[in-house]
Amino acid sequence: MIEVVISALVLASMYGLIAIGISLTWASIGMLNLAQGFIFTAGGYTAWLYAQYAEGWGLEGVGLSAGVLVFGMLGSALAGLFVGAIAFLPLQDRDNFRTRSLIATLAISLIGTQLWLILFGPQNKPLPPVFGEGRIEIGPAGMSYQQLGTIIVAVVMLALVILWMRSSRRGLQMRAMMMNPLGAAVVGVSVRSTGMRVLAISGALTGLSSVLLAQVFFVSPTSGVQPLTTGLIISLAGGLGSIPGTVAAAGLIGLAEALTARYLQQSLVPFVLFAIVVLILIFRPRGLGGLLEDVRE
Amino acid sequence: MSEQPRLVGRRAYRPHWPVNSTRVFKRRRWPGTKRSMLKLSGRYNPKTLRREMVLTDKKPLFWSVGLLALLLLPLGIASDRFFTMFGIICIYAAINVMWTLIIGTAGLQSFATLATVGVGAYGAGYLSVTYGIPWPVMLLVGAVLGGLMGWIISLPARRLDGLYYALLTLGLSEFMRNFVTQSDQLGGKFNGALFGVGRIIPSDLLASRLGQSLLYLTAFIALLIALAVFRWVNGGRTGILLRAAATSKEDEAFSSALGIDFNKERTRVFIIASAVLGFLGAFYATYIGGTSLQIFSLELLLLLLAMIVIGGLGRAEGAVVGTVIVVGITQWFTDWGPWRIVLVGVLALASVLFTRNGLFGLKAQMEEIRDRRKALYRAGITSRYAEFLAQQAPEIHDKSEIVGRVFERSLRDRLRSWINPELIAEHEAKPLGQHSDRLERMLNYFRKAPIPDKYVVYCEVPFESYRVVALSGLPGVPPRIVDDKKYASLDEAYHAVFLRRVNDLRAH
Repeated sequence: MIEVVISALVLASMYGLIAIGISLTWASIGMLNLAQGFIFTAGGYTAWLYAQYAEGWGLEGVGLSAGVLVFGMLGSALAGLFVGAIAFLPLQDRDNFRTRSLIATLAISLIGTQLWLILFGPQNKPLPPVFGEGRIEIGPAGMSYQQLGTIIVAVVMLALVILWMRSSRRGLQMRAMMMNPLGAAVVGVSVRSTGMRVLAISGALTGLSSVLLAQVFFVSPTSGVQPLTTGLIISLAGGLGSIPGTVAAAGLIGLAEALTARYLQQSLVPFVLFAIVVLILIFRPRGLGGLLEDVRE
Repeated sequence: MSEQPRLVGRRAYRPHWPVNSTRVFKRRRWPGTKRSMLKLSGRYNPKTLRREMVLTDKKPLFWSVGLLALLLLPLGIASDRFFTMFGIICIYAAINVMWTLIIGTAGLQSFATLATVGVGAYGAGYLSVTYGIPWPVMLLVGAVLGGLMGWIISLPARRLDGLYYALLTLGLSEFMRNFVTQSDQLGGKFNGALFGVGRIIPSDLLASRLGQSLLYLTAFIALLIALAVFRWVNGGRTGILLRAAATSKEDEAFSSALGIDFNKERTRVFIIASAVLGFLGAFYATYIGGTSLQIFSLELLLLLLAMIVIGGLGRAEGAVVGTVIVVGITQWFTDWGPWRIVLVGVLALASVLFTRNGLFGLKAQMEEIRDRRKALYRAGITSRYAEFLAQQAPEIHDKSEIVGRVFERSLRDRLRSWINPELIAEHEAKPLGQHSDRLERMLNYFRKAPIPDKYVVYCEVPFESYRVVALSGLPGVPPRIVDDKKYASLDEAYHAVFLRRVNDLRAH
């Protein structure tokens, strides 16, 4: 049972980061960023490139691990800015912004997959283990360093972002945009620069989850699809724009996935997830958090 | 919109032909319906005054030419590569037309299209492989499965709006792929691929050119079926009302005022489209004799979306032409590798960034740009003569008056710029006789001035005393004396009149 909880927590922390990125972007600039899969892979490949060079330099241990994390986030943040420059800035003040930016981000993800294929080939790229190998035993059950590290890093990162959004001037601007974009613009919050900042931050969160997920899976051109899908489902269930709701939904979905995989069948996971999301949405059409009922319209 | 002739600007050509006006015209209608085949209207030719028939809607012409080309091109060239390419074009175009029905008519932003197609393909394919059911039953099973799938995924659509629903359905394909991979019956053997699905054309015939042609013909018929369903639903009463409701920003109250239950009707349209999608899935399975997991891949979904976006969202012709473009690129330039997908992505991105609604929205967009340029140009003309034109021009009935006034003004401006001491000295030296060109033109202008208040020379005593007076312009009213100066000679008086007129021109 404890193992199930642990694996649920690991899944939740990895997917939750992506979901919060999607959620933040939607709430503050009204754009559904479906190029998250591309951003995800960008982080993975940047971290992989760094690891290649770092091995050449003879870096090991903490330097290598921290570098992989930092470069993964950096690469994804840059990819987020790139997406913003193409799908957000030119379209931002035109009519039908939402549908058009949605299509633009989808086109970017279509192009992105092929670019990775051209640049890095179809092979899976492994990342070096960031948290080392080994297990610690706590009472009846144990967890690997990787699982522990994933949970800790994700929680710390999330806490940092929330703290920053609560306490800083920039965070205040972002929250103002989330509450009322027009009002924020009227009192002098720049929609464009704040939007790009949001895209960079959600990109960094996605990059972190990319590095964390690459500990289990590999980096490949299409490795962003599955996390994107799950991230979408979680952000939808959590209520777009609500961080507490998204965290709760991530926990719920992670738990459901772990439970289904353990006690039912792996093949039933999609149906269970879909059923849960549909149930949540039927009872709460704006998700668990559901605070943006009429503000966004 | 397009049927109304434009009042201003270039008018579109509409095909017309003379008819026998003594015979009663009988409109042809599709059997069993009230819909006319061609939108014709009678009129008298404005030049010959003969009775004639005008085709007000040219779309059927373009459709029949395009579809005929689509049918005859591969049959005429009949190479394997062409058959493959055009077969894929027909099937994808059919899928896209149904997707257009869902997005455009039902107004549901659903990405579950390929998931539905896949359900039809895998369901019918599995039954065919396992129980050997014949192809008509397969198609039926596909349609039923698709309709069922459509019903299930339309359930959350009632509660969710717009993009939430898009998000939910985007994950569906990935989930279906996972399901097939993990399930024992489907995914166990060949990584999710199904082989040996029953074919429509017997397999011994398939190797021949005739068999290939017949196979292509079936794909073409599938496209025709999709187009017919699109026309039936989109052009019907519900379709028209649904689109009318969608133009007022999903105003459900508006549509219910028009007498339809918005949610119920769009669900109905969605289920119909899904049934056809399932049918197409089953057809796809029989067409290639199997299915693979590629049908659930995000990449294929994005390619289909690119087709719709490039062609123009919400139009059947956009869906078909977009499919021709994208499949043409991906199937023809196979040696480009991944770059051709990049090209498709760039095209889709460009059509989102620069056009309002893809290829078929381009005409309206260009016309609007042209109209705006024209308006700016006209505004520029008006501002050049802003003195009176802008305010008065609409009130002046005789437009030649405006032209005359504009000319007068520009003439006055030019003459005024010529006034200088040399010119005045020239006139003083010789008021009559031959002058320089400029002075001659100026005198001509002065001479044709209107009679009221025109300066003339008054002879008090011949050869002794002359004065300058101004005519009243009214019969019986004597001229008024302008000043008390007297001039000894006629030439001096002429020059005094000239100076006064120059003064007035300067002040004007």
